[in-house]
Amino acid sequence: MNQLERDLRESLGRRQPPPGFADRVLARTRQPEPRRISWAWLAAAAMVLLMIGGIGFVREQRRQAEGEKAKQQLMAGLRITGSKLSQVQARLTRIQERAVQPRLEQ
Amino acid sequence: MTKADFESAVHEHQGMVYSIALNFFHNAAIAEEVAQEVFLQLFESLKAVKNGSHCVAWLRRSTVHRCIDTLRRASFRHEVQLDQFPEIPSEVPESDPLLQEGLRRLIASLPEKPRSVLVLRFGEDMDADEIARTLEMPVRTVWSHLQRGTAMIRDKAARYLMEREDEPTRTRSS
Repeated sequence: MNQLERDLRESLGRRQPPPGFADRVLARTRQPEPRRISWAWLAAAAMVLLMIGGIGFVREQRRQAEGEKAKQQLMAGLRITGSKLSQVQARLTRIQERAVQPRLEQ
Repeated sequence: MTKADFESAVHEHQGMVYSIALNFFHNAAIAEEVAQEVFLQLFESLKAVKNGSHCVAWLRRSTVHRCIDTLRRASFRHEVQLDQFPEIPSEVPESDPLLQEGLRRLIASLPEKPRSVLVLRFGEDMDADEIARTLEMPVRTVWSHLQRGTAMIRDKAARYLMEREDEPTRTRSS
């Protein structure tokens, strides 16, 4: 061992921590641990939020589809009613014409 | 390891953990903080520690790793100016507090790997195999860091002494 190694050994010798060190460490172990948010809980919460969001989205889509279907049915109904009214109107016109024709001939 | 074992481990090994951190940083406040964190980590890992010798190895490894983490996290650079190194007399007495203080400062100025190796080699009196196991590096790397670290200290000390020798000449010439 050379002089430098001897000097290093002496310089880096064991030293004791300041008084009360062990008590301070033990006091810290007795403190209640701050509540840590676990990743599992965080993931579960995210899943629940996603599920709620997903269900809401599906419901909204279904509601929109039902509304669209009802609108289509109403439009079809109105179209049918419109054509029926036209037919009735045409028949009425024909009847009226037939009633008016003989009078004109006289 | 039980909680009672932990309490006796704190009392028994506080000097070792604190000394490693103090030799690493040359700063008592940082050394105490690091040492406390190491023991708190031990408290959280009681089941992982099997027996007394395993506890010592675990504490040494955790202390060095935490020192390196602290150094990297805080970008803490304990750069030592050469004028902080005390004058080394030609005849070195057996135990010179100024020389020891200077060497501690120089060690704390080394890069993290050679510093860790030197602290464990000369502070904890560990051989290269033990250091290699503790720092999880090949034995040849340990030897390399040991040689590099001592060479850097020798070089820094020599430069300091040369500058000190030049000073009176420069003062006289001016």
